[in-house]
Amino acid sequence: MSGATEYDLVREDTSTLELGAGATVGFAVVLFGFGLAGLFELVAVTESVAGVQLPRLLGGLLTLASAALAWFGVASHRGLVPTDPRPSAGVVAATGAAGVWFVVGGLVGSQTLGFGTVGWLALALLAGAVGFAATALPREDLGTTLPVAALTGLGGLALLTDVIGPDWAWSPVGLRATFAAPIAIPIIVLFCSLLVGWAGAKAYGGFGARGRHLGAYALVYLNVLSILGVLVGLLAFVFTKGAPVVVQGITVGPGAGPETTIRLFGFAHTVVWPVDWPFVMNGVSLYAEVSGVLPAIVGTVWLVVGAVLFAVPLGVGAAVFLAEYAEEGRFTQVVEVATNALWSTPSIVFGLFGYAFLVPRFGGSKSLLSGMLTLGFMLLPLVVITSREAMLAVPDDYRDASAALGVSKWQTIRSVVVPASLPGVITGVILGVGRIAGETAPILLTMAGATEPSAAETADVVGGFALSSSPPFVTNPALLEATSALPYQLYAIISAGVGGDAAFGWGTALVLLVVVLTFYAVGIASRTYFRRKLHE
Amino acid sequence: MSTELNETQTEAAQSPAELGGATTVGETDERTRAEWVDHEFDGDAKIAVEDLNVYYGDDHALTDISMEIPEGSVTALIGPSGCGKSTFLRCLNRMNDRIGSARIEGSVRIDGEEVYRDRADLVELRKRVGMVFQQPNPFPKSIRDNVSYGPRKHGDLDTTFLSRLLGRDDVDEEASLVEEALEQAALWEEVNDRLDDNALGLSGGQQQRLCIARCLATDPDVILMDEPASALDPIATAKIEDLIEELAEEYTVVVVTHNMQQAARVSDQTAVFLTGGELVEYGDTDQIFENPESQRVEDYVTGKFG
Repeated sequence: MSGATEYDLVREDTSTLELGAGATVGFAVVLFGFGLAGLFELVAVTESVAGVQLPRLLGGLLTLASAALAWFGVASHRGLVPTDPRPSAGVVAATGAAGVWFVVGGLVGSQTLGFGTVGWLALALLAGAVGFAATALPREDLGTTLPVAALTGLGGLALLTDVIGPDWAWSPVGLRATFAAPIAIPIIVLFCSLLVGWAGAKAYGGFGARGRHLGAYALVYLNVLSILGVLVGLLAFVFTKGAPVVVQGITVGPGAGPETTIRLFGFAHTVVWPVDWPFVMNGVSLYAEVSGVLPAIVGTVWLVVGAVLFAVPLGVGAAVFLAEYAEEGRFTQVVEVATNALWSTPSIVFGLFGYAFLVPRFGGSKSLLSGMLTLGFMLLPLVVITSREAMLAVPDDYRDASAALGVSKWQTIRSVVVPASLPGVITGVILGVGRIAGETAPILLTMAGATEPSAAETADVVGGFALSSSPPFVTNPALLEATSALPYQLYAIISAGVGGDAAFGWGTALVLLVVVLTFYAVGIASRTYFRRKLHE
Repeated sequence: MSTELNETQTEAAQSPAELGGATTVGETDERTRAEWVDHEFDGDAKIAVEDLNVYYGDDHALTDISMEIPEGSVTALIGPSGCGKSTFLRCLNRMNDRIGSARIEGSVRIDGEEVYRDRADLVELRKRVGMVFQQPNPFPKSIRDNVSYGPRKHGDLDTTFLSRLLGRDDVDEEASLVEEALEQAALWEEVNDRLDDNALGLSGGQQQRLCIARCLATDPDVILMDEPASALDPIATAKIEDLIEELAEEYTVVVVTHNMQQAARVSDQTAVFLTGGELVEYGDTDQIFENPESQRVEDYVTGKFG
């Protein structure tokens, strides 16, 4: 502790200087968000806004923030700003700075100045050493601000002076790839604003313990922001590409939609939909104006329903045995390791098993039923693992209380343990459904039907049930027919190059995303319902 | 606590190691075991325990316990931590059966019937001998479902949809049973307008009284309480103590506590367990606290150790 300034218990009113440092942080956050948006092409970084080219504008802002940062550091060192810096910014910060400076030095040496291997390595090491020394040796206020300000200033100036402009492109020697401005500029902005945010937050906190706290806070929050950015960016990316395809041709009005006949054991009822949504109500057809993915949607939904119906009762039953009846010991350990291993088994291995074991046993051709069972096998270990954990987490107090009332073990499990563990069980099912609904490989091997199914190929599982006078008495041909599923159709369209166009693929991807999210929503809603029941 | 034993004991006292394996009473205890068994009570003996030994693996948790507990009274079991008083309590309704490593020898008779005989009906035993635990442990269900849980699981009440279809509907019986049990547990006034709310929303003291009501709903003769107030604040504790005294008019109550004032306040007779799983002295509460015959019990109840 330098002890240069004595702390008052109550800090004085915010000074304009502090406000300046705070504004720098806010600035950095905005720039960071901008960088993320640019990375996902939500903002075109190479365009102009109000006559100013965007890269120049960003560069100018970065330079300005760097200047403010440097000025704050110097002002603090001169004693113009009341701060509480330590003698050094510390080894961790210095190591970070050395790493960043090493990379920048190496890039400038090899790419801009054209040095050979020895040359750029020497320059990189030199830059790293300078970055380390400049951070570690001066007092904390200078060590934090100046190296960061120099680096971000450099980045800002490069953008401002058009050294890295909209037409800039970089082809690294030895790599068959080109980094163009739309990628490079957001990345520069992201890194620079991250550094400015960290140093600015430290400055705002007056360095020292409080400054470090705020610096770490800024880093953590920018990190969270980037995770959210990736998530939102990905969704927005799929949505912007897929939505125009999905919504085309929607008409609303009585009788606008297609007819659907609902059949059950010979009874039939025909419904006319009041809305026509071609992309989700049509199959692929040469005659329809808009081709759709109805068979694949229905296939995916039935797959998930079948797999859940198969895996949940079996998995919960196994979990009851493991958590309530089996003695903790070698056997439960083996089962635990086995279920974990089964959960980590690659899906194509499950697919191969289904292909070799199930398909020949269900009539020799790929079918919906073998797909359901294969995905059910995949889901099973996760249901067992999470249900067992959830049951072990039920307090023994409940079991004691129930036993002391003379209630048998099985009744206790049924009416206390299982209800109390239900939210945990559902969490496992939600996670598992998210995985199996998007699986391609097992479907490819066990149930793949036409890659471009027409509406007539939609699996009619409910209507397929029929009674017969001889065993097995109830038959369902729909379960034994091949059908399509969304991830499989997507794979066929985009990767395997089977007809279709990319836009149709994006539409399919969006529908798949919505179907999976709908399963999530159902799962989360039921989990919330059971949690409420337990606690309210 | 046990390390202080030697300092406070008289010359004739045994070392703690010897106490652990002792099958005879220490020399400082003037009364003999036979006298305790024959201890004269006003009423009949509800519970009779003879030569009870409990082992957890190699650990000898209870040593040759013999005592009789009279009907319609409160019996307090006191002693320092780890002296076996909770183990003893859990022998009376065979809750120790749930611990795999526990081995129990000896005899426990309730109303003259041997609890530890083969083919004993645990459901019937635990219906007759209810238990309340240290931590309030209501189920994560509604207050009503908590109280009627026992009778419903025993098949004495049936309010399921199917049974209603089949013409058996115990909704009224359930309502009166719940009201009666909650009244007895002095909780009815506080919760009668929210019987469908989750029991976990009640305060700690209310939860404990709910657990007592849940235990009363199966219509027991004996109620075992394992430090029922140790997790509660003083006001909730006072309510539980009042309740214990009221319950003693109808039920035989055995209560474990490490709070000696509580034992003195609520109980008719007191049993003192000391380290090593020994029952050192058993008699009327006044006598135990004012004029104990054993030096070790005197040291314990006057706070010289433990």
